[in-house]
Amino acid sequence: MPSGARQGWLIATGIMLALCLFAVWQSSLLPLTDKLGPGPGFFPFWLSLIGAAFSVALLISVWRAPADPPDTEPILPRGYGARRIGAIIGTLAVTTLLMEVLGFQLAMLGFNIVLLVALGERRWITIGLFAVAGSFGVYYVFTRWLDVLLPAGLLGL
Amino acid sequence: MDAFQHLMAGLGAAMSPGNLMFAFAGCMLGTLIGLLPGLGPAAGTAILIPLTFSLDATGAIIMLCAIYYGAMYGGTITSVLINVPGEAASVITCIDGYAMARQGRAGSALAIAAIGSFVGGTIATLALVVVAIPLAQLALKFGPAEFFGLMVAGLCLVIGLAGKNLMAALLMTVLGLLLAMIGLDPVRGAPRFTFGFPELYDGVGFVPVVMGLFGIGELLLAAERREARMIEADLKKWNPTREEWRASAGAIGRGTVVGFVLGLIPGVGSIVPTFMAYVLEKRMSKTPERFGNGAIEGVASAETANNAYANAAMVPLLALGVPSSPTIAVLMGAFIVNGITPGPFLFTERPELVWTVIASFFVGNAILLVLNLPLVGLWAKLLKIPFSYMCAGVLIFCVIGAYGLKQSLFDVWIMLGFGILGYLLRKLDLPLAPAILALILGPMMERSLRTTLEISAGSFAIFLDRPLALALLAVPVIVLGFMLLKPRAFAPVRQADAE
Repeated sequence: MPSGARQGWLIATGIMLALCLFAVWQSSLLPLTDKLGPGPGFFPFWLSLIGAAFSVALLISVWRAPADPPDTEPILPRGYGARRIGAIIGTLAVTTLLMEVLGFQLAMLGFNIVLLVALGERRWITIGLFAVAGSFGVYYVFTRWLDVLLPAGLLGL
Repeated sequence: MDAFQHLMAGLGAAMSPGNLMFAFAGCMLGTLIGLLPGLGPAAGTAILIPLTFSLDATGAIIMLCAIYYGAMYGGTITSVLINVPGEAASVITCIDGYAMARQGRAGSALAIAAIGSFVGGTIATLALVVVAIPLAQLALKFGPAEFFGLMVAGLCLVIGLAGKNLMAALLMTVLGLLLAMIGLDPVRGAPRFTFGFPELYDGVGFVPVVMGLFGIGELLLAAERREARMIEADLKKWNPTREEWRASAGAIGRGTVVGFVLGLIPGVGSIVPTFMAYVLEKRMSKTPERFGNGAIEGVASAETANNAYANAAMVPLLALGVPSSPTIAVLMGAFIVNGITPGPFLFTERPELVWTVIASFFVGNAILLVLNLPLVGLWAKLLKIPFSYMCAGVLIFCVIGAYGLKQSLFDVWIMLGFGILGYLLRKLDLPLAPAILALILGPMMERSLRTTLEISAGSFAIFLDRPLALALLAVPVIVLGFMLLKPRAFAPVRQADAE
């Protein structure tokens, strides 16, 4: 465990324990064995049970580890890093939501402009050129030359 | 036909204009991806999968393999010029490569890295030709019990050497295997963990998951850091001096051997061979104090070992169907996406494909050498592209890759979710390699185990009747037992890999 990550590891191991227990329950609803031998629930049941045991063992060892020093740098970013990460996740999520309606080209045009501005770019001509190339240009190359289907949206763009 | 004749036929096919173009494009794109700080070969290969959707299987695999070893070389350029490794295996190159750049010898460092990579990669591919067929013939005798044992052994070696905490690596393996269980049961077809989403009946797509874990995850991590400054190097003078040639020759030879041997062992990450080759060179040197201050042998040994490893790591994949690292797992995913199952049957069922791909490694290594020596100045200029544009470009490819395979926006959400997960796991220093290998091996492991147990009517005693399967299953017991009892014995390797 890296120094200062005790709290993060406790949370991660706790989530893994919950996930494994949930998987034990879900796979116990499936047949563990049938006429031919092991059933669909066999592998996930034993796997998640073993995973739960590992989670408990790791949880105990992390719990016993010394507490994080007070001046520990937080695992999650703050300030500059948090803003940039938030911009990337946020713009990608909104673009994915809008892509079905607006289609790849318009959604990506907006995505490129918003993301570049959010990451600190201010040269508008470069931003515009990149945004057009990264939306209409990429759509043309992938759909016409590489035969990859991309969402056309309600407007058919 | 023997291996040599197959190789010659493969070389003929690899030299066809179409395949040459795919190898060339793969080398260019791979180098470009490799020199973008924060994006390694696994991310690069995953991100560029959509470019191969419309290609035939041979062209697609040639291009993706070229991207892989192109990215391995591309990482060197950032290591030398901005002291930031483009991918993990180039960490060691930073030590002496950056010191050389500060002394005005960046051209020599990059040239010797390109030459070492070429020699290491070419000799490792020749050795691959010799080793792969006997290994594949041995694997043809395997039944489901032996395949199960082989996959468990391979996975456990990865677990044993991944990261600093064995229990965490085991837990990440369980996570990968549980993700592999999502979808229709491979034997009976019963839905598992699908929660009413028909999109999950085919399972969690490998491409969106690796694009998320590696592409988006690494990008988010890079976004957090401030951009590094590049050294203004004179790259017109790249020819090493006679002394530098003399100093590098032995290091290239030894780096090839170290890289190839370690590349054959599943679980040995790409940084371990470079670390071992560097340490070996330093110990053999009469002037070890020069290491860290611009010793060209340091660059030559690490870069040669890096590329020899990259080519040798294809042996377990092609001959046994077992990926030995996350990048190779991504390549295996690309094979499967193209309807090809890597493993011993590949040599009998699709010899024209496998030998063309192997022959393309020679071609790709030569293209990389020709490309990298004269174009090093151009690559250095590309390093000046601001992070924001690189980030937007990579994300466009990620969206196309995740969506393009099944035309499903659900997969784009999966990619985004796994991107955030990949970022958090990296921040917590939890190993990703076991999870990704478990994800790709999970369905095959389950199928092998269940077929074995169906043969024996549910009795595990069948493993006692199959000595080879038993021996393979003993490997993880020995490795993991040894690691629990003597954790310090593996500490240097795990430390190097984790760092």
